[in-house]
Amino acid sequence: MSRRFLSCLMILLLLAGCGRTAEPPVLHVALPWSDYVTDVNSNYYIRYLEQRTGLKLECTLIRHRRSEEYLDALFSSEADIDVVMFGNGFQVTREELEAYGDALVTDQGVDHYINSGSVRRSGVGQILWINSRWLMKLGLSIPSTTGELRDVLRAFRDGDPNGNGLADEIPFTGCGEGYAWSPAEFLLNSFVYNDPYHSRYGVNDEADTLMAGTDAFREGLSYVHDLYAEGLIDPAGLSMSGQELCELVNSPADLVGAFTTASISDVIYPGNPEILAKYVHVAPLAGPDGTRNALYVENTPSIGAIITARSTKKKEAALLLETMLEEEASLIARFGEEGVDWDFSEGTDVSVYGGPSTIVTRNYLWNTVQNKHLNGIGPMNVPERYIEGVTWNGINSDTEYINGHAEMSYQTYLPVINRLHERDQKLSEKTDAWLIRFIRGEKDIRSDRIWHEYLDELAH
Amino acid sequence: MARISGRIGTLILLLLLCAGCGTAGGHVSEQPESTMESAEELYRNALQEDVLVVYTVSTRVVQTKESFESAYPGLAVEVRDLRSPSLIEAVEKEHQSSRPECDVVLCNDNSGQFRQHLVDTGLVVPWLPADIAAHTKDNPDGNGGSFLYEAEMLFYSSLLYDTCPISNLWELTEERFRGRIYMPNPLNSFSTYALCGAMLQHTDELAEAYRLYAGKDLQTAAGETAAECFWRAAAANIIFTNSSDEVIEALSNGDADFGFSVSSKLRYRELGYRIEPVWNLTPFTGCRTSYAVMIAADSRNPNTAKLFIRYIMGETDGKGEGYLPFRTAGTWSARDDVPDGNDVPLSEVDLIVPDQEALILARDKMQTFWSEVIRDSEKQHEEKEN
Repeated sequence: MSRRFLSCLMILLLLAGCGRTAEPPVLHVALPWSDYVTDVNSNYYIRYLEQRTGLKLECTLIRHRRSEEYLDALFSSEADIDVVMFGNGFQVTREELEAYGDALVTDQGVDHYINSGSVRRSGVGQILWINSRWLMKLGLSIPSTTGELRDVLRAFRDGDPNGNGLADEIPFTGCGEGYAWSPAEFLLNSFVYNDPYHSRYGVNDEADTLMAGTDAFREGLSYVHDLYAEGLIDPAGLSMSGQELCELVNSPADLVGAFTTASISDVIYPGNPEILAKYVHVAPLAGPDGTRNALYVENTPSIGAIITARSTKKKEAALLLETMLEEEASLIARFGEEGVDWDFSEGTDVSVYGGPSTIVTRNYLWNTVQNKHLNGIGPMNVPERYIEGVTWNGINSDTEYINGHAEMSYQTYLPVINRLHERDQKLSEKTDAWLIRFIRGEKDIRSDRIWHEYLDELAH
Repeated sequence: MARISGRIGTLILLLLLCAGCGTAGGHVSEQPESTMESAEELYRNALQEDVLVVYTVSTRVVQTKESFESAYPGLAVEVRDLRSPSLIEAVEKEHQSSRPECDVVLCNDNSGQFRQHLVDTGLVVPWLPADIAAHTKDNPDGNGGSFLYEAEMLFYSSLLYDTCPISNLWELTEERFRGRIYMPNPLNSFSTYALCGAMLQHTDELAEAYRLYAGKDLQTAAGETAAECFWRAAAANIIFTNSSDEVIEALSNGDADFGFSVSSKLRYRELGYRIEPVWNLTPFTGCRTSYAVMIAADSRNPNTAKLFIRYIMGETDGKGEGYLPFRTAGTWSARDDVPDGNDVPLSEVDLIVPDQEALILARDKMQTFWSEVIRDSEKQHEEKEN
């Protein structure tokens, strides 16, 4: 009786086991929180990756703004994380990763998975945007020279273009978080080719010439200092954060006359056509001798993800990240769902950069609030032809179109690059610090003695 | 008991569905086209409604939004700026999904697509209060709801030329203008599409212009019209763009000699753009276009929508602030009591008027023709670059 009972029980247990489908392996993925992604757990791209890999992705949102803070906290804890993804402002450099060497998977020298395709491989590093409403109100033209810019900024300061009766207009502002937002870096390009990303060395035949030590550079700095002294460049704009700059530009009080950025979406909040409609790009300004340059930048792939050494599912983690680097996945990561958000072009459209089209966007998702992809978080490898060939979907506030349109007017002034100088971090830091002193007038740019003091310091 | 509950449940469900259909069917569609609801009455009712969503092809409406919100405290407007094809698609999709968001549309109505997809289907409804309707000019396009006239026309670069260097449209086919003419892709731009399509209806004038230009009759391939012949020849010189903005930019910085653009871009001269319109040309310089403002049939905020339309049309006397942003160079008023924004009257510009019915009928032909032309053009440019 008891044997029969036990046999039945065994059969029942076996049947129960057969009925249950195998649970997919669970991979714990940490990724930064993004304003642009509504819910990672129901995200189209995450679901696609789960289907492709057969893995269950348990996503943990990172709230830290700095990747080092997060990685320190992660590796000093017992947290069960297999993969850490980067992107959307939460970045890490190769040098910074070296400090976590033992905590990361290193397989044949590969310790990270790249993110390539969020932006074009190369292009314009800095664009000037100006308040066209203020220009119209004051009956002014878009400036085309440094002299005209000075006149326009003076009118912005004195003419009450926001019409509130207060002298609260900020003619030209920026922020201290990067070269792209610095009015001075932009203006110097009207005097000499100024590439702060390469320590202000020249290009090609002049790749070993330090432009920051030239007379033209000094003349440019004098001009910038004069604007600053006249209250035309915002003192706070030399040091405030990117977030503060965004708040200022997006303020309904209409306070800002001009600013620079690499991409308009870095400054204007998403879904803000009113503010976007207000700012128009200004082509590179001609300096006193007609010099005008556009800043060339190369966007090297960033780090998209790493696998933690403590992961017990390294093989599965590698499968996920390698899948993300495939073309099909990368196109979803960049443009969304094929057939819904985009299609391959039939060759009858024009790309936002003016060239032949490869991708026709139906719903423009990049830098908008959506749930189709991760807006650049994680590894991806989008072939350049798709980035260059993306079309405009007709929305006037599509920032990629606005940037592309602006870049076309800078194209003529971009140098053709054959050789660039390596960045010299120490030199850059010294020059950056001197620039601030010169602009603020703490050091007199017109004093030969001070100028030589500066040159000496750069030389040592 | 369970059966009775089921029946009651079914009945309730049917009633709810019917109620739902009634709501989604549109608050506005049954409204007469012109009514005399006063602004005060509309405002009072609008205060009970939600944020007004305006789908627009013109960013100038942002200024109207701002002054509207000041004029009518408590009301808010959200502007979504779209290109005409996207606007039409969005309204259609919302209607199909029964999740309408759009209240007011402001759209280019020249290609026939606006009329075919939104007006004829009843997804948008022309609405004008009687006091304003009494002052609107007759629109040969006939959709109703037109609030502004413009043109898709030829411009030249005043950076490069003091006066227009051509007098006949056929000169644009000359080798000297290779890569020097910019034009929005007609497959994506309603205004450009309207111009290209309208030219199919004016082939005799084009053939006669060719005879004046070349001193001989135009030889076309079998089945080819003079318009197709012109565009094939001109396309070899044309750089296709996404929008008129790129055209005027290229003209202003001297990258282009000529460009086809919407006339309202003439206002950029105030910002220093070096562009000049070609008012007169043999046989014509472009085509007349118009913009319509209408209420979405699915609008959830019909009172605010009507009030907004009153406002954007300049209110009873046409002097209201809402119309001001549109009274700029390159535009012509749709009201007989409001002066044009442009110095040169519309009647003195060499324009043709598109026949929308013909444009709708010619759509497949146009699509095939222009797809070929643009593919050929891109191939030529690629070969040149290589």
